[in-house]
Amino acid sequence: MSTERLIVVGGDAAGMSAAAQAKRRNPGLEVVVFERGPHTSYSA
Amino acid sequence: MEEIDSPRGRVRVRDLQNNRVVWESYDQLLLATGAVPVCPDLPGADAVEICGVNTLQSGIELRRILDDRNPKNGIVVGGGYIGLEMAEALVRRGMAVSLVSRSPEVMKTLDPDMGHLVSQALRDFGVTLYLEETLIGFETKSGKITGVVTDRRSLPADIVILGLGVRPNTELAAAAGIPLGERRSIRVNELMQTFVAGIWAAGDCAETFHLVSRKPYYLALGTIANRQGRVAGVNLGGGSATFPGVVGTAVTKICEVEVARTGLQESELRELGIEWASAVIRSRTKAGYLPGAGKITVKVLAEKGSGRLLGGQIVGMEGSAKRIDTLATALHAGFTVEEMINLDVGYAPPFSPVWDPVVIAAREAAKLV
Ligand SMILES: Cc1cc2nc3c(=O)[nH]c(=O)nc-3n(C[C@H](O)[C@H](O)[C@H](O)COP(=O)(O)OP(=O)(O)OC[C@H]3O[C@@H](n4cnc5c(N)ncnc54)[C@H](O)[C@@H]3O)c2cc1C
Ligand SMILES: Cc1cc2nc3c(=O)[nH]c(=O)nc-3n(C[C@H](O)[C@H](O)[C@H](O)COP(=O)(O)OP(=O)(O)OC[C@H]3O[C@@H](n4cnc5c(N)ncnc54)[C@H](O)[C@@H]3O)c2cc1C
Repeated sequence: MSTERLIVVGGDAAGMSAAAQAKRRNPGLEVVVFERGPHTSYSA
Repeated sequence: MEEIDSPRGRVRVRDLQNNRVVWESYDQLLLATGAVPVCPDLPGADAVEICGVNTLQSGIELRRILDDRNPKNGIVVGGGYIGLEMAEALVRRGMAVSLVSRSPEVMKTLDPDMGHLVSQALRDFGVTLYLEETLIGFETKSGKITGVVTDRRSLPADIVILGLGVRPNTELAAAAGIPLGERRSIRVNELMQTFVAGIWAAGDCAETFHLVSRKPYYLALGTIANRQGRVAGVNLGGGSATFPGVVGTAVTKICEVEVARTGLQESELRELGIEWASAVIRSRTKAGYLPGAGKITVKVLAEKGSGRLLGGQIVGMEGSAKRIDTLATALHAGFTVEEMINLDVGYAPPFSPVWDPVVIAAREAAKLV
C-alpha cells in the first residue's frame, strides 16, 4: 500500500499549523506544502 | 499552485525558480491560501510607492522604499487596524502622516462612540485624519506618486499605504467548483472539510461561524487561522477535532492606546434585528491611587429582556486590551450580564480596581436590560 499524500497549498499560519499537526499525529503521512512566496510561518 | 483538478485528485504547480510545471497528485488537499488586500481599480494605482502590507515580503519591500527614499509625506488610506498601525509606524519615522477613511470614525469594528476615542488618540499622536472621505484617485508624475485625491481634496504624497481590508484568496478554489460562502470564502464544516471530497480549507481563505449571531461569518485573523489549521491538521492526521466558530475577538494597539472588541456591535445588531442595551463606563487599569493607573473605557452590549451578553469594546491605556478575553469567554459560555457580575476575576492593586472595569460595565448593562 502506498503512503497517503497530503498536499497543503499556502505555507503560513493555517497551512503550517495543519501540516505540523497532521505529520505529528501520523508520521507515516507524506506531507507536501507549496508556498509561492519566499517565507513560511511568518504571520502568526 | 495554479489549478485544482479535483476529479483526478491532482494540482498543477509551477516551480517559480525554473518555471517548470508539474501535476502533483494528492489523497487529501488542504487549501490555506489566505487573503489578499483589496486594491482599488483606480488610475495610477500601480505606482511602486503605493503599497499594501499583507505578507512579510510586502513589509520588507515597504521598508526598503522608506529607507531608500526617505519620503516626507505619507498617506494611509483605510482606518482599520492595519492602516492605523502603519500610520503610527510612519509618524515614528518622523513623517507627516494623513489618514483617509470613508467612515465617520476610524476602527469601524468598534461602535462610533468608541471609535471616536481612537480617532482622538491618533490626532493627539500627530496624524491628520480625513474622515468620511473617499479615495477617488492618485496623482503621478512620470510614474511616481505625487498625491492622493479624495472626493473633497487632493493631498501631497511621497508614499501611500493602502489598508482597505482583505478578501479571501479563493479564485482557484472557485474555478475548481468548490462552493464558496460569506464574502466568497470557502465553505467548510466543523472539521474544516469543504463540500468537495478530499479537499479541506483553513485560515483566511475559509469561512467561519459566528457563535453569537449563529450565522456564517468571514473574519481574517491569525488567531482563527491557527485554530482552524490545528483542527484541520488533527483530522488529517487521523485524530478528531472540531472548530465551532468565533465570537469576533480582536485586539490592537495604536500609539499608547489599546483597542479591543468582541461579539456583535451596534451596526450588526441593527441588521440582525436584535434589541440591545449598552453601557459605557470609565475606570482605571489599576487601583486609582497607584502610579501608572491608566484610563480605560469599557462598553458592554446586552440583549433587551434576556440580558444575554452580545458584545463588548475596550479602549484604554496599557493593560486594557486583553481584558476583552473575559467578555469573549463569557460570550462563548452564553452568559447574561447578570451572571457576569459575580465572575470570580482577580484583583490586587497593581492589576485593577477591586471591581474589574469589565465587570463594572456588565453591572451597568444589567441595570438597563
Ligand atoms: C500587517 C498585518 C498585521 C496583522 N496583525 C494581526 C494580529 O495582530 N492578530 C491577528 O490575529 N491577525 C493579524 N493579522 C492577520 C493574520 O496575519 C492573518 O489572518 C493570517 O496570516 C492568516 O493566515 P493564513 O495562513 O490563513 O493566510 P496567509 O498568512 O495569507 O498565508 C497564505 C499563504 O499562501 C500562499 N499562497 C496563496 N496562494 C497560493 C498559491 N496558489 N500557491 C502557493 N502558495 C499560495 C501565500 O503566499 C501565503 O504565504 C495581520 C495581518 C497583517 C497583514
Ligand atoms: C495587607 C492586606 C492586603 C490585601 N490585599 C488584597 C488584594 O490584593 N486583593 C484582595 O482581593 N483582597 C485583599 N485583601 C483582603 C481585603 O482587604 C479584604 O478582603 C476586604 O478588606 C474585606 O472587606 P470587609 O469590608 O469585609 O472587611 P474589612 O475591610 O476588614 O472591614 C471591616 C471593618 O469593620 C470594622 N469593625 C469591626 N468590628 C467592628 C465593630 N464591632 N464595630 C464597628 N466597626 C467594626 C473594622 O474596624 C473594619 O474597618 C488584603 C488584606 C490585607 C490585610
